[in-house]
Amino acid sequence: MVLAAVMIAFAPAGVLRQETRAPQFEFKDLNGRTVRLSDYEGKVVLINFWATWCPPCRAEMPDLVRLQREHAKDGLQIIGVTYPPENKARVRKFARSLKVNYPIILGTRETKARFSSEETLPLTVVINRDGKVSEIISGILLREEFDEKIKPLLMKNLEGEKRNAKSNH
Amino acid sequence: MLSRITKFAVSAVLLVTLGVITAAAFTKTVTIRVEGMKCAKCSASVSKALKATEGVEEAQVSSDKGEAVIKYDDQKLDEAKLREVINSTGFKAVAEKGQ
Repeated sequence: MVLAAVMIAFAPAGVLRQETRAPQFEFKDLNGRTVRLSDYEGKVVLINFWATWCPPCRAEMPDLVRLQREHAKDGLQIIGVTYPPENKARVRKFARSLKVNYPIILGTRETKARFSSEETLPLTVVINRDGKVSEIISGILLREEFDEKIKPLLMKNLEGEKRNAKSNH
Repeated sequence: MLSRITKFAVSAVLLVTLGVITAAAFTKTVTIRVEGMKCAKCSASVSKALKATEGVEEAQVSSDKGEAVIKYDDQKLDEAKLREVINSTGFKAVAEKGQ
């Protein structure tokens, strides 16, 4: 029992299991604003690890911009975290060219390792409204994966709101 | 009675064989060269997108060789569609060698 507890405490970084509380972080985004994961409590957060030198990362970003625009009202919040080697000016230029509508922070290898030991890029960590890791999606985020793994998390709040609205009337 | 069982068994074997031959006739394998796939971290997306495509039975993607070997049902999709799927992942499908 004690051994199990010790093993969990010293589990290698990045071996996050589903339903584990997401590690907290605080960074400055490209605009100098502080981004804390705790600021988005109650939202469904997608932490998207990406790089300007990664073709699939660049290819999926217009879809992420669209998802953020369409589902912000449902409580979706995407946070882009770059993976090194990266250059702030290049990241800023790329983000502007795509009119990225969510915060982008310059991450380190350690930032990604806190969430996953997988080498793949892009990689998207899905955090549910309770602040727990719900999924780690390796590679480009497919439409079917969004529908199957993320939409139900967004719907949960809508159902709750409907129930609350009914009970208030 | 015995001959009836024999007839039934022969018919069943024929049907299964016919099914296997038909399925094999629809299965094609193609090797598509993928340009820009230098980053092993990134190539997983190509394999993932191909495998999620209806009609793709198998996809082996190698960033070292810079190619994707795809087994697919040619009744459901064609090589042009496969190249389109690869291109949608940010890489460029440049040529293919039919097998």
